[in-house]
Amino acid sequence: MSGKPVLDVSGLTKAFGGLTAVNDVSLTVGQGEILGVIGPNGAGKTTFFNVIAGSLPPTSGSVHFDGTDCTGMRADHMARLGMTRTFQITSLFPALSAFDNVRAATYRTKSTGWLSAIFRSATYRTEEEAVREAAMTALRFVELDGRAHVMADALSYGEQRRLEIAIALAAEPRLLLLDEPAAGMNPEEGQRLVGMIKKIRERGISILLVEHHMRVVMGVCDRVVVIDHGIKIAEGAPSDVVNNPDVIRVYLGREAVSA
Amino acid sequence: MQRYIPLVAIAAAIVLPLLTANTYFHHLLVLWMLFSLLALSLNVIIGYIGELSFGHAAFFGIGAYVAAILGMHTGLPGVVELLLAAVIAGLFGLVIGYVALRIVGPQFAILTLGFGSIIYTITNYWVDVTRGPMGISNIQPLSVSGDFLALSGALGYYYVTLFFVVAFAYACYALMSSRTGRAFIATRENAPLASSLGIDVFRMKLLGFVVATAVAGIGGALYAHYLTVVTPDVMSLQYMAALIIMVIVGGRGTIAGPIIGALIYVGLLEALRAVGPLRLVIFAALLTLSVIFLPGGIVSLWRRVFGDGGTTAEPAEEGGAS
Repeated sequence: MSGKPVLDVSGLTKAFGGLTAVNDVSLTVGQGEILGVIGPNGAGKTTFFNVIAGSLPPTSGSVHFDGTDCTGMRADHMARLGMTRTFQITSLFPALSAFDNVRAATYRTKSTGWLSAIFRSATYRTEEEAVREAAMTALRFVELDGRAHVMADALSYGEQRRLEIAIALAAEPRLLLLDEPAAGMNPEEGQRLVGMIKKIRERGISILLVEHHMRVVMGVCDRVVVIDHGIKIAEGAPSDVVNNPDVIRVYLGREAVSA
Repeated sequence: MQRYIPLVAIAAAIVLPLLTANTYFHHLLVLWMLFSLLALSLNVIIGYIGELSFGHAAFFGIGAYVAAILGMHTGLPGVVELLLAAVIAGLFGLVIGYVALRIVGPQFAILTLGFGSIIYTITNYWVDVTRGPMGISNIQPLSVSGDFLALSGALGYYYVTLFFVVAFAYACYALMSSRTGRAFIATRENAPLASSLGIDVFRMKLLGFVVATAVAGIGGALYAHYLTVVTPDVMSLQYMAALIIMVIVGGRGTIAGPIIGALIYVGLLEALRAVGPLRLVIFAALLTLSVIFLPGGIVSLWRRVFGDGGTTAEPAEEGGAS
């Protein structure tokens, strides 16, 4: 880890009435780092994720993004700061083409609005050109450029999941939060995803990955944080974590290690 | 070739009333244009931000009353008056939208129905200002200032309203090819995803709602000047239903759709004059059939026949067989 962390979460707690889904979890994501958050089903991974992304307000604790305190900030506000998330269940604009899906995602990178469109100002025209360009680049990155004008709901499942990544990338985030991107993927698609995530990091984007697939986590993460019952029980390099007796007991003991 | 269709349509609309001297035909054309403007504005709510409003006729009524009351007490130039009608209707839209858009979907639709009824009731009973159910009559014709360039006859109103329809249709077209328009569609299609991309969903819905209500206000002011009389009936449920029918049957989320929907409504209203109140039943049947068999409205027939030509984004068709 070099320099100041991009994301600094400290003492994060989220309680729903009497149930504490996330209990005093702290972690940091460094510049250009890929951090994995793993844990058995119901461990509180997704709640943790949603609190960071601004979809749920935390009960206590703080979230700093790039040195800015953004604890309890709304999701759209967070996104404008440069933190983009994906969703566990496929989330797209189903009635739009893949191209329009990605174009809509460039929202935060541009600034012209309705009025400049009415007057066809010079800035409007150059920005629209840049939007088209950026959309095609994002689609090429996920190898969907050949399917640009297909409606999103007509794409195959694997293609839809890749389109989600293109959408997130088109927002030009500095930190990308991936919520179980490999869910429902076959091993081959999972490998492709691993390659893609590595390529995203090469662009200087830091990644926080919540994942269930051990193969993906082991293949791509620099560091791993393990959560069980809302509590952080281990942290370290993937190879260390799988050998940690606590982790084996709560997590790996219930599921074959396939890495 | 497709890009010339709007120009051809505008040219046809300019020439159309000159083909006959029949003033009744001119009257129908004015109604068509007025309804087109209203349907286009309601389309921003139904088609672009994806909410259903039952209160739109109330904003139309506010615009009409602003024109009537201003005309009665002041001698403001027509242009200023239209502007004020838009601003005041838009302000009502801002306040009501700010409250009602906290919730979405069917609950929002019910809230707008409530607000619409409140405005209707106030108009009906605040006799000092609105003259109650009798309404305001003898509204002066629309003019640039005083008697200067005062509109007389349907033809003048037709062209003025046509100007607003073309201008607003162009604004909608520009919206749909802008970053703001993409944010509207993103909000309609998937609000959580839109907000994860930095789009302030509430603000987008509010913007769409305010623009729609302001334009409805202009429509109301034009209507009041044209008919020279305005009663609370313009805010009644019948008008709200008519506007919704125009947008859905014509094709929500498109620009041609609401204009064609208005034409169908005005045309059928005339053609079925003989059957009296039964017309409403026919309109209801039309709406039902359209929702079931043509969820994209009449304009979607074009695409079915000629293939997918445009990039216009229409709302997701639930269970549609497209």
